[in-house]
Amino acid sequence: MTRLKPSLLSNPPLSTFFSSQTLYSHFKINVPQTLLNVLIVVFERHRGSFPLKHLLSKMFVIGVLILVLSGFEVGPARAFDLGSTVQAHGFLTQGYFLTTENRIFGTSDEGGSFDYIEAGLNGSWAPMSDLRLAGQVLFRRAGKGHEHDVELDFGLVDYTVLSTADYRLGVRLGRVKIPFGFYNETRDVLFTRPTILLPQSIYADAQRDLSLSADGGLVYGEYQNNWGNLTFELGMGIPRGKSVDTELGILGSDWPGRTDSKRSYVGRLGYDMLGGKYRVALSSAWVDTRYQPDRLPPDDLSSGKDIFTPIIISAQYNLEKLSLTTEYALRSVKDSGFGEGFDKDIVGESYYLQAEYRFDDHWQAVVRYDVFYSDRKDRNGRKFEALFNSPAHTQFAKDWTIGIRYHLNQSFLVAAEYHAIDGTAWIVPLQDNANLSTLNRYWNLFTLAVGYRF
Amino acid sequence: MIKRYLKRLIIVLAYYLIGVLFPCAVAMPAENRPVVIVNSETVSKLLLSQNALSAIFGMRLRKWEDGSPIKVFVLPDDNLLHVEFSKYILHVFPYQLRAAWDRLVFSGTGEEPVKVMSEQQMRDLVGSTPGAIGYLRGSMIDDTVKAIAFE
Repeated sequence: MTRLKPSLLSNPPLSTFFSSQTLYSHFKINVPQTLLNVLIVVFERHRGSFPLKHLLSKMFVIGVLILVLSGFEVGPARAFDLGSTVQAHGFLTQGYFLTTENRIFGTSDEGGSFDYIEAGLNGSWAPMSDLRLAGQVLFRRAGKGHEHDVELDFGLVDYTVLSTADYRLGVRLGRVKIPFGFYNETRDVLFTRPTILLPQSIYADAQRDLSLSADGGLVYGEYQNNWGNLTFELGMGIPRGKSVDTELGILGSDWPGRTDSKRSYVGRLGYDMLGGKYRVALSSAWVDTRYQPDRLPPDDLSSGKDIFTPIIISAQYNLEKLSLTTEYALRSVKDSGFGEGFDKDIVGESYYLQAEYRFDDHWQAVVRYDVFYSDRKDRNGRKFEALFNSPAHTQFAKDWTIGIRYHLNQSFLVAAEYHAIDGTAWIVPLQDNANLSTLNRYWNLFTLAVGYRF
Repeated sequence: MIKRYLKRLIIVLAYYLIGVLFPCAVAMPAENRPVVIVNSETVSKLLLSQNALSAIFGMRLRKWEDGSPIKVFVLPDDNLLHVEFSKYILHVFPYQLRAAWDRLVFSGTGEEPVKVMSEQQMRDLVGSTPGAIGYLRGSMIDDTVKAIAFE
């Protein structure tokens, strides 16, 4: 399948979205654009590390801003007469990370890092009931290598072929979000995640680029009966594997050449029972990434191929206050053609067990145990260490997480969590941690985040 | 005086007894229970299946049988009528509805319902928007909207 022309996927003029006049008059969104700008400017100035004593004053400023802005509620989106609807939504998250050892999203081990901002703006237009156009632009800051990432997250045309009370069938074309597991499609939105950091064993931020969205198409369908709701999605497209992170994830270091994605496939089958009391899903993908060398060996690797085929089983049990979630993945990685010592054929394993408890409309707590093994046959990483002379603890990560959330109102959220981690498999080589030998096996992480949405 | 207090005591006890035997009668008078409403002019349907109701408020079914678009209106997530509608008519908790709508909106796979701020606004909008559906307490229904039955 050929790639779609770049013009379809280029960023829409941001000025049309950010004009407060347009926002107010068309969408009745009561967000003073100036205040949002102030927020962005305030956080823009505080790049890099910050001594811990300034943290309190920072939190105070953020707290005041929250109280001021929490007075604003979102008005309803206006529907136009011709039966078409236009909706706009967005989100802004500012995070703070503090680690005892190792670095994540900036210099988190030296007084903490504010180098974490996620912001997005999306729009959806349905000129007819069967046709919808939607797009989302993301801005992200996440430590070294991701200082000002602006990207088109999705830009698609959605056509519903068949639609009755019991059956639905449709197709999406363009840049579509990749559906796998329970959380991947909305992983950049704090409000849709159970914790500030998604379970890294399955939703690794290090491999984020490959799992975000792909240029191609997706067929979706749904069948509903008294027993529940069955859904399926089957997609084909080219993921976004050109980034350095992808190369680091596959090869472990930055070689002179570049990675590029080839046609890949994804599929997900879901089943909801009793209105979502029980949810299960089965996801799988076939991801093809190629390496294009820049120089001849031994200065560079040979042109190799990485085929990644994960399979993920997801299950969730939802009660009024309690939700239990678990996901288990087997991740097959087949690397060939890179050269001696780099080719491999391994199966990794990931799983997590999570419990969320909603005390009331405002307070929520979460506990999770998350496990990642790079290679099922080498769970303690010793074989890897013997072979590559690199620390064994980079091949696994076991994480106990405890977190709490406070919903001020529908639009504001404050979350805090603490991770006790054994293993450094999450750590992106090079970017924030230039030297792997300085990594520490046991490390703790504290993170705080404030989120706004409309 | 004692007679008056006795009378009141008997009324309270009777009310309590009825509440124990017939909890719905006391807890939710019929006219305050949420009722699914549609625009009376343009929506000809009189009966909806539970499937259709779930699919419509879940924003997965977007048009009526005649092909006209369905416009869904809801009250805020913490509104009492919304909570009752969600739990007793849709049989899901409000947080599940919110999670489902958020997934649609932030993945580009759908839209969320239009949020109204009051029951008055709900009635006004459902009554004036072609193909509209929402919910309202029974006592507030007027000519512009009609209650719809479901299995």
